[in-house]
Amino acid sequence: MPERPHQAKHLQQQACRLLLHILLPVAVLCLPLVHFSRAEAADAKNCLMCHKHRYMGRIDENGKRWNYNVDELHYSHSVHRAVGCDDCHPYITKIPHDPVTQKVDCATQCHIKPPFSQDKFSHEKIVGIFTGSAHGIHPEDSRLAREAKPYCKFCHENPPYSRIPEENISYEETLRRCLNCHPQSGVVQAYRHITHRLRKKTSRSSQEIVQLCAKCHQDVPAMEKLKVSAKALEAVATYNQSIHGKLVRLGSQKAADCISCHASNALHDIYKKDSPKATINRANIQKTCRQCHTKTNNWFIEIAVHPSLEHKDNPIIHVMSIMLQMAIYGTVISMVGLMLFETFGRRRAGVRLLLVNGTSWRPKVTRKRKKDR
Amino acid sequence: MPRSAEMTTGAAAHTGTQAGQDGYYTYVEGVGHIPRDIYKHVKSNPLGDLPRYSPHIVIQHLILFITFLLLAATGLPIFFSDLFWAPYVISFFGGIDLARRIHRVSAIAMMLGAAYHVATILGGTLWKVLRHEFDYKRTQIPRMKDLQDFIHDLKYFMGLEPHRPKMEKFMYKQKLHYLAVLYGSFVLMAAGSVLLFPDVVARLLPGTIGKILPPGAIGGDSYSAFVQDLVRLMHADEAVMALIVLAFWHWVNVHFVPGRFPMQWSFLTGRITREHQIEEHFLEYLNNLKDIPEEREYMKRLLKEKGLDPMAPPDPKPVQLSELSRIH
Repeated sequence: MPERPHQAKHLQQQACRLLLHILLPVAVLCLPLVHFSRAEAADAKNCLMCHKHRYMGRIDENGKRWNYNVDELHYSHSVHRAVGCDDCHPYITKIPHDPVTQKVDCATQCHIKPPFSQDKFSHEKIVGIFTGSAHGIHPEDSRLAREAKPYCKFCHENPPYSRIPEENISYEETLRRCLNCHPQSGVVQAYRHITHRLRKKTSRSSQEIVQLCAKCHQDVPAMEKLKVSAKALEAVATYNQSIHGKLVRLGSQKAADCISCHASNALHDIYKKDSPKATINRANIQKTCRQCHTKTNNWFIEIAVHPSLEHKDNPIIHVMSIMLQMAIYGTVISMVGLMLFETFGRRRAGVRLLLVNGTSWRPKVTRKRKKDR
Repeated sequence: MPRSAEMTTGAAAHTGTQAGQDGYYTYVEGVGHIPRDIYKHVKSNPLGDLPRYSPHIVIQHLILFITFLLLAATGLPIFFSDLFWAPYVISFFGGIDLARRIHRVSAIAMMLGAAYHVATILGGTLWKVLRHEFDYKRTQIPRMKDLQDFIHDLKYFMGLEPHRPKMEKFMYKQKLHYLAVLYGSFVLMAAGSVLLFPDVVARLLPGTIGKILPPGAIGGDSYSAFVQDLVRLMHADEAVMALIVLAFWHWVNVHFVPGRFPMQWSFLTGRITREHQIEEHFLEYLNNLKDIPEEREYMKRLLKEKGLDPMAPPDPKPVQLSELSRIH
């Protein structure tokens, strides 16, 4: 019996040694595995068996090169990291699979379940809104317009997370955006969930949104082909010289970007001005402006958000701008001219540049005279 | 030089402030005949010899000075947001949102400064009127004489006139600049307020005003749109003009021209150098002579030492030693 404590101590030491010498290195060695295994977890069908190869691809009939590689690391850091391959590509039923002709439909239901409901998740709602909007493909669209119109992936590039200072995040607004897809229940959990997401905000800054929209809308020749209105043709240029555009360009997160006015919280419901659903329709525009300008009224909405470039549509303003320009040049030239003239006159009268020994009207240099003396 | 001719008619000087046909000599009671170009002979302290601005005006100028520069520094990068330097200036002020706040706070400070100035001017004028000291010639109110002085000065600079005109406390240049600042700051403040409160202004200026005007008079758009367009133009253009005038004219004209270089201290000390006062504000200098006994003494002594006053009574005969001995 007296040996027991000694034995116990010995066992303890052995266990410690085991832990230190074997388990710890193993644990350390396993760390990278834990880190890199996320994509594999979503890859139940083992698609990566082939798609992990970097140069996996083909050259099609038109000579276009296709790369079918899926970067595990990049995918495991993306928003869709928990979504299995077959959730978005359900038309692949066997491996090896046949050539894929179908495109990914973001309205497909995937196996992810939202935290507070039992339904399968889907982007169906937002895809529905998008297809109805000005960017959706409509039967009356020309072939050119069909080709020019963007689909989900044009804007949603699955970018890595970018950090934004928390004070710049408007929690309320984002919560409203989340409700586009998530049902409104379990507010506390939702808040935790949402604030977790917000610390790693994935949406674009105002500047990036303007750049994104400008990608197509600034392309004047392409827009001309699509026969957009004259105002829409120079919409980016006029926005950029409005106060909203200038502030956004200088980094403001408060000033209105494109979707602040052209879409509601659903973000995808961008319609042409004439459509009654449009946020910029005459019937809705007061509500849109009121998001920031709380005292909006009937006359306020007349103010140009996209001010014309050369004021050519308003003769009075146009003439005024020319007159003000002339006033600037006239004033500066005449005043500087007068100053130079005055200086010339006073110099001739004998004034010196510096006030020395109490006077700037002293006689010219006297050094030679001193020598003579 | 017509100097000899003046000397003969110098007797007229005793009746008024001017003497001679072209006013070369000015007679001041108790001082003597002051020649017009006496400023070439006086001694001046660069910090200023004679009072010009009250401490109120000095403070108001500093308020305007600081707020205007802040406003320009935070406003111009917004107007020229597409130029390469704009983001750097904005980040210097801590981002666009803070820069806009600084712009608004400075604007309020400038408006308060303007209110302070108006109160000072009105109060000071009232005080002078009550004491029967008010003289509109010493104020910034433009007169016909300013135009004459301007033409006279141009002739002098061309060498057609022998001397500079005798000008009041504020000469044509300063009156022009002061009125420009009045107009400019009014436009900037009004336009800035309209830009800051577009919704309130749209409420204050209802579309009915647009309806009173004939259709198409304001370019087809509504009145509120027209006002905003106009104000966007005015605020920026006026600010750019003010800054250019400030940088290329005001600063150069005040600090860099001969005799003032490298700096005129008036805006801090409120005092003006003697030679500057006599050269450009001769009539104000006569007021100084009236008010300041030391200045009278100084001028009297200067005229005597340099022998610049030909009509001064001769010195009393020096007392001879022999005469002294006779008395005692």
